[in-house]
Amino acid sequence: MSAVVDAIVPDMLHAQCPHVLLIEDDAKLALDVAEELGLRGFTVTMAETGPDGLDRASQGGFDVLVVDRLLPGLDGLALIEQLRRQGTRTPVLVLSALSAVDDRVSGLKAGGDDYLTKPFAMVELAARLEALLRRPIEARESMLQVGPLVMDLIERSVTRDGRSIELLPREFRLLEYLLRRPDRVLTRDMLLEDVWHYRFIPQTNLVDVHIGKLRRKVDAPGETPLIHSIRGAGFMLRIGT
Amino acid sequence: MLLQSALIFWQTTSYQIMRTDLLLSREAALITAQTRPVLDQQLRMRASDDLHLLIAGAGLFDAQHRVLNGNLQTWPEGLQPDGPVLPLVVHPTGQGPRAVRAQAVRLRNGDILVLARGLRDLEEVRQIVLRALLLCAVPGILLAVAGGAWLSHRALLRVGIMHRAIDRIMAGDLHERLPAGRERDDLDRLAGSVNRMLERLEHLLDEIKGVGDDIAHDLRTPLARVRTRLERARDAPSGVERPPGRAALLTEAVDRAIADLDQCFAVITALLRIGEIENGRRRAAFTTVAMDELVADIVDLYEPIAEARQVVLVAARCDAVHVHGDRDLLIELLANLIDNAIKFTPEGGRVEIGGVARNGEAVLHVADTGPGIAAAEREAVLGRFYRSDKSRHIAGSGLGLSLVGAIGRLHDARIAISDAGTSPLPGCRIDVTLAALTT
Repeated sequence: MSAVVDAIVPDMLHAQCPHVLLIEDDAKLALDVAEELGLRGFTVTMAETGPDGLDRASQGGFDVLVVDRLLPGLDGLALIEQLRRQGTRTPVLVLSALSAVDDRVSGLKAGGDDYLTKPFAMVELAARLEALLRRPIEARESMLQVGPLVMDLIERSVTRDGRSIELLPREFRLLEYLLRRPDRVLTRDMLLEDVWHYRFIPQTNLVDVHIGKLRRKVDAPGETPLIHSIRGAGFMLRIGT
Repeated sequence: MLLQSALIFWQTTSYQIMRTDLLLSREAALITAQTRPVLDQQLRMRASDDLHLLIAGAGLFDAQHRVLNGNLQTWPEGLQPDGPVLPLVVHPTGQGPRAVRAQAVRLRNGDILVLARGLRDLEEVRQIVLRALLLCAVPGILLAVAGGAWLSHRALLRVGIMHRAIDRIMAGDLHERLPAGRERDDLDRLAGSVNRMLERLEHLLDEIKGVGDDIAHDLRTPLARVRTRLERARDAPSGVERPPGRAALLTEAVDRAIADLDQCFAVITALLRIGEIENGRRRAAFTTVAMDELVADIVDLYEPIAEARQVVLVAARCDAVHVHGDRDLLIELLANLIDNAIKFTPEGGRVEIGGVARNGEAVLHVADTGPGIAAAEREAVLGRFYRSDKSRHIAGSGLGLSLVGAIGRLHDARIAISDAGTSPLPGCRIDVTLAALTT
């Protein structure tokens, strides 16, 4: 098995402190989130109501917004619509109760934003914010490469140091997703959602099994591991340890 | 009682009027049969003697209604000779106007005889009847009031007993019941209904309590392990030099503790999710979902897992039929079914998934070659919180089928559990029937 890279804090510290605006009316949840994100290297500003959040967001200066779906004064989605009309392009992550997920919420993903259903793990929130901060992903390339690993999107072939790797279609999709996001923590939920387009919590280590199969093909015995498990968070494709 | 009195009064009055009218007719017949001088004599007598109290007036008129004899000064307006008896007001000589019932009879010579009979006796009878009725009414009313008071007192007593019983129930004694007797009156029947409701509530509470105990147990076991591991890690001798060394020991202990805590989170998250699916009635995300794509996707997702557990996952025939539902939740339903099937199927076994369109319905099925679910447990496993004893030792929240049940209910799906008919183990087959969309 591959080496285990420690949690994602050190990685985040490489970037400048990203500034998050957290618009959430549940004060207890807001404090928990702020504290946790603070530990992970984010600077957090809080707003409790829709109008207040809209004011602050309009002033700019934030790298990413975390917006509750149901806010007093102004609904979270209406807030985002207003911001977009004003020309603010700051990426948004919407927090929503499962029962409030509808087409408009799930449509956020198509617009480059994201959403998370409550309850969520803090590591999930952090990983998704990081993903939003690192947008956009270049989609037009025909070749993807991370170190010795090369993927030809036209030929649909993968090689590592010239060694050809045979992949099933689903393994190819998974590796393509990893290759487009090197050096990033990818949670199990993110993989399930973006590679398979599912949003549910599997009862088994579903994603681990898929990653395991892919890893056995990509990281042959004796080779330096490229696919790493991040303890308590998920997985990462990176060169070296 | 008022109505009864009014009826008696009306009956008496009309009888009296009938009698008066009959007397008038007889009298008229009697008088007209007399010769003229006798008739004149009779008329004078009637007008003067005491009888005029009863016979208020008598008069003889010619054909042109002119007065010939008697004590009536004018022809009573509206009276027709040989017509019916009419209620009128007449003006007898020496008296004020009087209300009478009068009749006119034509004599053989063309003259007209008018007889009027006063309503005095009628008034008297009326007074008597009225007094009698009032006399009856007073004890009647008193009796009714007393009876009512007694009845309401009795009812209030029973309501009071019920109140006290309800107070005891509210204080937490859920075994308490209201006195319902044999449910012969409304109050008893109401008490009976309340009792049945209480029974149902008590049953549900027991169920929840059982579930609570189960969940507490499920959380307690991994938490106790976490605690033991952490204690052992803390107390590990600092001088451990032999491999793997103290640091590695600590890391391992923490890793295992985290895994146990994750198990606790899985239980809690599953519970919250079931609650949200059941209470939220999340239908906003309902769209048209293709059943064959659903099955193909889930097979693609679970094939490696089955393989890792040395179980064959087979995609059986699946018709291209559409259903109305939440794709994510339907995938979750199938994922849980397959998850369960793979978990309980021994190595070398087989799990099959497929779907057919039948009678306007889409029937999905997942079948395995595992130990199956006992017939007695089949209904319960889909309930809100149910854990078979067997599932205790298997990883996961153990609430997979409860989640399936919740998602099924949201989609108005029928879920049937049966034996798969395999050997040596009976296997388990679960059919999920959804309404198919006509395309």
